[in-house]
Amino acid sequence: MIAIAEIGHFALIMAFVASLCQAGWPLLGSRYQSTRLMAQLQLAAMGLVFMSFAALLHGFVTSDFSIALVAQHSHSLKPLIYKISGTWGNHEGSLLLWIVILVLFGGIFALTSSPLPGRFARLTLAVQGAVTSAFLAFSLLTSSPFERLADAPLEGRGLNPVLQDVGLALHPPMLYLGYVGLSLAFSLAVAGLLVGRIDQAWGRWARPWVLSAWSALTIGIALGSWWAYYELGWGGWWFWDPVENASLMPWLAATALMHSVLVVEKRGQLKSWTILLAILSFSLSLVGTFIVRSGLLTSVHSFASDPSRGLFILGILIAAIGIPLTLFAWRGPQLASANDASLKSRDVALVMNNIILVIATAIVLLGTFYPLILELVSNQRITVGPPYFDATFNPVMAFALIGMVIGPVLAWRRGALPHLKSTIGAAVMGAVVIMVGGFWLLGPLSAGAIAGLGLLGWLTLGMLADLHRHLKLHPPRQRASRIAHLVLPVWGMWLGHIGMAVFLLGALGDGLARSEVTVRAQTGDVIALSDRAYRFIAIEQNQGPNYSTLTARLQLEDLDGQPMGELAPEKRFYPAERQTTTEAAIRPRFSGDDYAVLGDGDDTIGYSLRLYHKPLISWIWGGAALMALGGLCAIGGRRPLQATSSQTG
Amino acid sequence: MRNRLTYIIPLGAFLLFALIATIALVGTINGTRQTDQLPSVLIGKTAPSLPATALSDELAISLEELAGTPVIVNVMASWCAPCRAELPALALLAEDVPIIAIAYKDKKEDTAKFLTDFGNPYRAVWMDYDGTTGIKWGIYGVPETFILDAQGRVVLRHAGPIFKETMELVIRPALAELGL
Repeated sequence: MIAIAEIGHFALIMAFVASLCQAGWPLLGSRYQSTRLMAQLQLAAMGLVFMSFAALLHGFVTSDFSIALVAQHSHSLKPLIYKISGTWGNHEGSLLLWIVILVLFGGIFALTSSPLPGRFARLTLAVQGAVTSAFLAFSLLTSSPFERLADAPLEGRGLNPVLQDVGLALHPPMLYLGYVGLSLAFSLAVAGLLVGRIDQAWGRWARPWVLSAWSALTIGIALGSWWAYYELGWGGWWFWDPVENASLMPWLAATALMHSVLVVEKRGQLKSWTILLAILSFSLSLVGTFIVRSGLLTSVHSFASDPSRGLFILGILIAAIGIPLTLFAWRGPQLASANDASLKSRDVALVMNNIILVIATAIVLLGTFYPLILELVSNQRITVGPPYFDATFNPVMAFALIGMVIGPVLAWRRGALPHLKSTIGAAVMGAVVIMVGGFWLLGPLSAGAIAGLGLLGWLTLGMLADLHRHLKLHPPRQRASRIAHLVLPVWGMWLGHIGMAVFLLGALGDGLARSEVTVRAQTGDVIALSDRAYRFIAIEQNQGPNYSTLTARLQLEDLDGQPMGELAPEKRFYPAERQTTTEAAIRPRFSGDDYAVLGDGDDTIGYSLRLYHKPLISWIWGGAALMALGGLCAIGGRRPLQATSSQTG
Repeated sequence: MRNRLTYIIPLGAFLLFALIATIALVGTINGTRQTDQLPSVLIGKTAPSLPATALSDELAISLEELAGTPVIVNVMASWCAPCRAELPALALLAEDVPIIAIAYKDKKEDTAKFLTDFGNPYRAVWMDYDGTTGIKWGIYGVPETFILDAQGRVVLRHAGPIFKETMELVIRPALAELGL
């Protein structure tokens, strides 16, 4: 057999050497320094890691069961796409994917770093190299994906059936793009601390990295939520589980960072704060990795938890967070802008935004780690769940949503923009209308629900009023061209903020008007649920490629008995893995999803069915997609130095 | 942010976090922090009832009939691989203590086949078709094992399969306290 796995392993070792050189090179005397050389080292590491990943991919695709990892996590009967996605459906492979993305970002930076001052670019690459070599060492020493088996089995053990899904093919790569993309902001921040100078240009360099990472993270989290929604069959979309929180924390910090970078870029202020946020955002990504892989916290999602590996990651964590924070404690005070005290208008709004988002991050951090702290102090074991987060996180975020309308209508320097009053007026009107409308449609509501509806109206109308204002200044004939001429970052802001409103619409629709029922039913039964009914037509047994199925056929009818569609929830049994999965049947519509899950049962006692109607729930992910699109828009197009939304008129 | 001290706060907070994480992780590795020993509100209380249906008439012995002697209640399922893995350990235990199975979300024919295929260490097997008994016992997954004293009170809950190590460190000591 051609030893492709060994080539992959060797490439990984060489990549480690290249990254280590890259990290250490600036320590050599200044006459040896060359930005080009550092960039080449980064590109070499990128090429080698890609090669290594390709070797592993080859092992999975060709079902080479002499590789231990493939034997443990793959199966020759698996469809090709799941053989491919199986490459990162395990600890070792997903770690390699993480490194692939790390070197990809490093490589892109190396190719685009020419406008940056040489020393600054070199230090950024060095920090990036240090992070990469730490993770490569982790992979090589504790989790090598290329271990061979002395006796190759004839068949693999298969991939956890829950992971045999397109969700897995997409969710981790997107999430890692987000997590790891933040490493560039981190490296830029550390380089800034080392150089001892941060200016407006720093903001301009950091912004595209922050925005692209943030957009990827948004999509990654949304995909994870969507996957849990349809694959796990629990009917929910967010569970406040430690692993979910692990991805939410960097997202919140990066959201704050994305806004504060603007203040650095526009006004040259908030520099030390922004540096701290850049360090924290990536640090929280690392903490997330640590939580998922160490087995420190109990989670429904964690795979590959191994405490002794956890110790290695903890080591990386302490170095990767501790050193920059020490540097920050030492150099940070020098960065404080002389005029930080003179923040006004929109700057203040953005500071408020940052404070709120950091508090929200802290709330999630506390909720996630509180059980651990309590256990150490008093040996009690508890879990912190939705009640805590509903009571703490939601109200704090409500303030952020209020600010999302006010911030954009404040000017950078001189108070409010002329349309502040009309925008706020529209927002207030929207809030009132939706609150009254919600009351009328849904009856008495809790305070939280009323607040949620009010915020929905406030945000939607507020943003639409702002948009309208920008277009109204021009005669109708020019409006079309006007739209085309608006700077992309402004569109980014609108899309982002309106995406939030759309997300809120989905969350409220599902939260306030959801109906569900759990029954034990025989074929022929009709089960009513809100304004529709399910007719249990038949139960069928079938054979899939590598599983057998039990499928319930349900006909969805309206109240007059007219058929609206058919749902076929399934239970799948995977013999290779000896595991059963639930395949919820979902009929997604803009107005809401019909969602059916087949439980246990037999012909004598009947089958248990869980049926839901979830109004507007798809809007949750639509909103996230809009937000991510907004983030991408905001990368494009250079902002004229003075342009704010006020000057575009 | 002018004060130097404020710049040290993030570092301090992080070090505190790192300290806690290290202690917890070292605890996990040394085994002093048992992630599979979940607390049970049932400890010290009379055990909840068993399901109404037994796998067969011979395997329909109730907790009341076994009163006066310690009992092990094992929540299992034919679809669960770790349950199969712990059968040898249960067979050893069955020589000293009667073991009652609760077949969690299982079908009679599957449970019967499972026991024929891999051996039956159980004195009684009760069918928890829809998992309601599982809810009453507060189980977290299968397998789980409860030890009941002679008065029918729960003295120990173990989540996860019983292997050699758990047998010696957890199960045997608990039985020894009950005089077995």
